[in-house]
Amino acid sequence: MTFLHFEDNGPRNSPVLAFFKSNFGFVPNVFRDQMLRSDIVQAEANLIDSVLLKQGALTRFQKECILLVVSAANSNTYSVALFGQTLEILGTSREQSERIAVDLQNSNCGEADKALLEAIKKLAETPAAFSKPDIESLRRHGFTDEQILESILIAGLANFLNTVQIGLGAVPDFPPLVVFPLKKEVNLSSDSGRPTIEQPLAEDFPCEDPDTEIVARVRAGETDAFEELVRKHGRRIYRSLVGILGSADEAEDVMQDVFMKAYQHIGDFEGRSRFSTWLVRIAINTAIQRVRGRKAIGSLEDEDGEFRPRNIQAWQDDPEQCCSKEEMRRLIEKEIIKLPMKYRLVLMLRDVEELSTAEAANALGLGVPAVKARLVRGRLMLREALVPYFSKESTGVTA
Amino acid sequence: MIRCDEFITELGSLLDDEVAVEIRQQLELHLAHCRSCQVLYDSTRKTLRIVTESGSFDYPHPIAEPMVERIMSRIRSSCDTDQSPTE
Repeated sequence: MTFLHFEDNGPRNSPVLAFFKSNFGFVPNVFRDQMLRSDIVQAEANLIDSVLLKQGALTRFQKECILLVVSAANSNTYSVALFGQTLEILGTSREQSERIAVDLQNSNCGEADKALLEAIKKLAETPAAFSKPDIESLRRHGFTDEQILESILIAGLANFLNTVQIGLGAVPDFPPLVVFPLKKEVNLSSDSGRPTIEQPLAEDFPCEDPDTEIVARVRAGETDAFEELVRKHGRRIYRSLVGILGSADEAEDVMQDVFMKAYQHIGDFEGRSRFSTWLVRIAINTAIQRVRGRKAIGSLEDEDGEFRPRNIQAWQDDPEQCCSKEEMRRLIEKEIIKLPMKYRLVLMLRDVEELSTAEAANALGLGVPAVKARLVRGRLMLREALVPYFSKESTGVTA
Repeated sequence: MIRCDEFITELGSLLDDEVAVEIRQQLELHLAHCRSCQVLYDSTRKTLRIVTESGSFDYPHPIAEPMVERIMSRIRSSCDTDQSPTE
């Protein structure tokens, strides 16, 4: 899917692609389309790691805003969607990202950040006009030289990626946040002169959601149609809730809240994912809110101490043969529910719900490294619990 | 060569195939020499396989009828108090 003749038959789990998957939850096409030269993609990954991901003088939010503003200055629909999506994962709404991209002064960025982003926009739009007074102005707004340097480097990175995307014809990873070129129109209801944002065309992103028709009926006011969605997805939602909450009674209770929220906000469902995915996200967030509300849970943000596996016995080659599928299912559920909450949550989101590390981090309000650390701990704890059933010396499963 | 605790720190990334080439080489070198970490890697990999393939938390029965009724009754009464979907 690129202008170049390029067979995408490279290893799907190449380490450099794994870098993007691990840090962003997916591999953007702008990098995938360069895999004829994976060595160069690796160099780009190293640069991104140093400039964008490693903690520096700027916050990650500021850095992502710079990528977004420069991409908007370059009228790059692909990159604006990509960086808008990243900002969304970091907790910024699509509407705010849209404003930052095309209507910065009316966004909710702080005054200093607006000054920074305006200066960077100038650098991207009219580089010849950028000069020392622009730097001095940033210093007056309180930015250190290290922060200014990082800003310029990130702007350069954005320019580079925009050029590569246009050159290769990389297809969008996400529906557009803003479609360029912008149409200007007189808006009598607003004095901001804000450009009209075109909506993505449906045929650009074919939706294969089997629930589209039922969702449309509910949105049209046919409340009874929602019952079909409850029956269809109830089991799946129940499963998520029991795993996260660790209690069937509590899951039943929360399940009502989940479907109630879904019904009330079905007008906000934009079809950017399947309805079922959207519903599971509501379930996860509702369950996590419930967990956070418990008094006796202890902090989910506690630092993790050291964990050392104790029972190092070799396992049978094929533990699945030890018992029936039903016995295995019950055993795994029983042992996952016994895990301490903070490890169980991460293990449920990553290994049962199959969220990406970035999505799990976002849902839990944790950093990616913390999610990774807890995930390995949770998996090791679960492994330890299963040793008596599956080691070569074990006598079988009686869950 | 890396130590066992360093291997354990990277174990999650190794299982998810998310390690850089040079780190993978170090982990594999460690595995070739450390029986304990071999066992740990093998059994944790199998644990992950069982979790993802066992259908855990995937209840075989449809949602219970009383639950559907409770949910729909709450939604219908919300309609009566004008909490219908936002459009």
